[in-house]
Amino acid sequence: MSPRIALFSHYRRHPLQLAALAAMILLASALWTGIHHLTSQARTSLEQSERAVAERQQSVREDGNPVSVQDFVNLRRQGLCVMPWLEVPVPGRGRLVGIDPLAAHCFAEPGHTPAPWQGELDGKPFVDISEAAAQASAEASALVLLVSQADGQSPPPAGYRYQAFAVAPDTAELGDSFLLNLDALGVLVLLITSLLLRSVFLLGLAQRRESLALLYRYGVNRSQLSRLLLVENLLLALVCILPGVWLGRALSLVLADGFGQALEGLFDRLLYAGGGEDWWLPTLTMVAVIVAACLAGVRDSSGSLLTRVQPAFFAVLLALGLAVSLWAPTLIWLFLAVALVFLAAGWLAPLAIAGVVRWLARNTGDPLIRWRLQEVAVLVRRLALPLVALQFALALVLAVHALVTTFEDTFDQWLGQRLEADYYIEVPQGADITAAVSWLAAKPELVSPELWHQVIRGRASVQTASGREPVPVDVFALGPVSHLVQNWRLLAQTETPWQALARGEGLMVNEQLARRQQLAVGDRLIVRLGARRLQAPVLAVYPDYGRPSGEVLVPASLLPEDFEARFRSLSISAGIEEIKVVEAQLARLWHTPQLTVRDNQAIRTLATDVFDQTFLLTRAMTTLTLILAAAALLLMVWVFLSTRAWYFRLLIVWGMPQRQAATQLTRVSLALIFAVLVCALPLGVWLTWILVQRINPLAFGWSLPMAVYPGFWIELAVLALIIGLSIALLMRLQLRRPASAPESAHGLQGGER
Amino acid sequence: MADNLISVTGLSKQFESGDQHVTVLRELSVHLGRGESLALTGPSGSGKSTLLNVLCGLESPGSGRLAMLGQPLAGDGAPTGKALERTWCELRQSRLGVVFQDANLMPTLSLLDNIRLRARLAGRDDTSAGDWLQRLGIGELGQRYPDQVSGGQRQRAALAMVFVTRPALILADEPTGSLDRRTAETVADELFELQARHGCGLVLATHDADLAARCLHQLDLGHQGGP
Repeated sequence: MSPRIALFSHYRRHPLQLAALAAMILLASALWTGIHHLTSQARTSLEQSERAVAERQQSVREDGNPVSVQDFVNLRRQGLCVMPWLEVPVPGRGRLVGIDPLAAHCFAEPGHTPAPWQGELDGKPFVDISEAAAQASAEASALVLLVSQADGQSPPPAGYRYQAFAVAPDTAELGDSFLLNLDALGVLVLLITSLLLRSVFLLGLAQRRESLALLYRYGVNRSQLSRLLLVENLLLALVCILPGVWLGRALSLVLADGFGQALEGLFDRLLYAGGGEDWWLPTLTMVAVIVAACLAGVRDSSGSLLTRVQPAFFAVLLALGLAVSLWAPTLIWLFLAVALVFLAAGWLAPLAIAGVVRWLARNTGDPLIRWRLQEVAVLVRRLALPLVALQFALALVLAVHALVTTFEDTFDQWLGQRLEADYYIEVPQGADITAAVSWLAAKPELVSPELWHQVIRGRASVQTASGREPVPVDVFALGPVSHLVQNWRLLAQTETPWQALARGEGLMVNEQLARRQQLAVGDRLIVRLGARRLQAPVLAVYPDYGRPSGEVLVPASLLPEDFEARFRSLSISAGIEEIKVVEAQLARLWHTPQLTVRDNQAIRTLATDVFDQTFLLTRAMTTLTLILAAAALLLMVWVFLSTRAWYFRLLIVWGMPQRQAATQLTRVSLALIFAVLVCALPLGVWLTWILVQRINPLAFGWSLPMAVYPGFWIELAVLALIIGLSIALLMRLQLRRPASAPESAHGLQGGER
Repeated sequence: MADNLISVTGLSKQFESGDQHVTVLRELSVHLGRGESLALTGPSGSGKSTLLNVLCGLESPGSGRLAMLGQPLAGDGAPTGKALERTWCELRQSRLGVVFQDANLMPTLSLLDNIRLRARLAGRDDTSAGDWLQRLGIGELGQRYPDQVSGGQRQRAALAMVFVTRPALILADEPTGSLDRRTAETVADELFELQARHGCGLVLATHDADLAARCLHQLDLGHQGGP
């Protein structure tokens, strides 16, 4: 018999271990592949959606009349690169967008990713304009003439002007934030899967220690043994990884289907990218992880996790990680801190649990309680890796739940504040907004004076009084400062900031600007608004999640006459009848036949939908990670108990009724799992803080409120209870199986201390 | 009858192995009185351990009648279900002492704590645990764990665990099987001495003919097994 057969024959005697290792490789491959695909799919989809809905230039008629096919012909004859964009509502399918592929050619920019409509028109959702025109009805369809970026820089032809064209609110940065968190989640999942793989491998190796030692005594040297183990694991990986990758892709496609639907809901079109075809990356990654997890420290695998560590070293590492996380100036430093804290926490948790239960065991006089506590210590030592993986998974679930819930709440609240008014009406270029404002002010019976304001957006520069360089910022001017804004959540504020703002006694800044310029309430800013130089104190800092730019909020009364407004609108809360009257009057005042009136509630609903779905996905993936960690733990427990069961049965041999013995084992398993939960909670809270208070500010300039949701801890405790009871059930099953007495009390036969 | 520690009549036991029924014990009858000892001999697989497991209630008898310490446990008049389990538990707690070849001790408890735990489960005073270790010559090892002492010392501790419960009957399955000859003799001496001193019964499964010869009765199970 060759050494290879002698070594591999172990699994013939212990098929459960082989099945456990194979199942772990398969599930780990599936989980990580799922996360990887989901992340790349989400990234592709969001990029496509951003490109599709990104603000572009459109050509509109000076006289305010809608553009027609004749306008398209006119503009093309003048050599302008314009593309017709005909939106046609299709019942049950959202909207079709008809475009002219020939005209789209002049939109191609060398070196840039083509726009989503460039390339083959497959009807998802872009179709040839003739097809869209065939389904169009006069009232419901809308023709837009998009202008290429190059032509948009030149003056428009006579009778036309350019204006922005966008089909959805800009949520790109929130999407980026989600993707960054998903990336971080993927790395943690990979860490958890490698821990699980190594734990299964080490258990098998520990139980093959005698065979390995025997082969070594027979002259098979260590490098040969390592090679044999490498071959064995590669063979196993080859058999298990591909089905795992396939399963992961299937899983991600099922989950991501909802994501795609949400994007479609938001953007009214099919934009979901679907799965990429990169099988090789997850496959190679898993092979590398398996080889690393199974071969790292093979020669010294006999030592358990707890015997070779220096607790003081890891305590220092933990302190260092926590310190770096407080101070980290960049994301790289922050990720390093996360790695240090997880490494140290993973190492220290089993040591801490074992230390505490041993201390308790020493200090109890009851031999039965002492036995239970000592059994917990043995389980912690033997199952250290899957328990640490479970600890990480619990922490991850807690952190992701807190992040997602905070995100949902904050985003919902923020959208609610920003879209407080029922409607907003775009002010056409060149229209006299003063006349409209005067008219509205004179009609309190139509629209309450507290329920409308004008919004003027433009650019300015700000400089701190301490003399830093001026920085360009966006201007968000309000007039009057209506009640529609006064419920905004403010991060820092003076006593009555909105009243002071209305009186023109200061300005407000968004969080991004405050963080970058290190501004606090009361700091004085020098703002250049066109030709006007204004010095004013900061009255408040408001959160602003949708975009990266710094912004100042000023009363419209402070804007100079020559202020170049990029965008003007009116936000109005009124009933449907009232808004119709307002719309008609403003159209008359501005001599335009068609006004852009948007229903803010609809925008809000659409914007919320996509994030609800992405949050659901994130939760689903973390829950799957937890399930995998729990399943791995149960597998390991089963394998371990198959050798330990004899000693549990001693209780029955000594006359303890089966039910009582099972209760004792249930106490052992619950103590074990709740100890892990206790270690996971602080890690999860810390990870939550890292995600909402550190990663987001460093990556995007804004933070989310820190909340830990203790109510969810109860849910986690219930999950832990289920895992603990499952372990207890396995123990009961082992108790019932006929067990033959081991030939010796050797540790390899379950008799370890 | 009350003096009969063991009364087995027409006991048969079968196991299923694949699609075959393997008979391990066939129409066996065994009787043992107070203070008597019985050696079960026979080759491996002849059913020695199975019979011991049946006698301590860890395996159910297939058919036949069984009474232990005067209590019917299989056959006519025997309780069933939970009542049967309760009766076996009560017997094992304080009337039956079981010794295996090794692995008689909880590995996570010291020798002393093992004996204390056993005494507690039997409802006995556990303060005598140290005395029993002293009596068996391992008093100084009380705080050691099973893996920190020799096989012989472990078996002595196992004997201490049995006698701390003051059993009426000891069931020993190859109690010296993993020991060297000299240690085996010492442990066997102690077992027989204690059994004689306390007047309890002893059923001993062994391959060792010399050890078997020290028992009052011998039962060769060599002819028992077969499909």
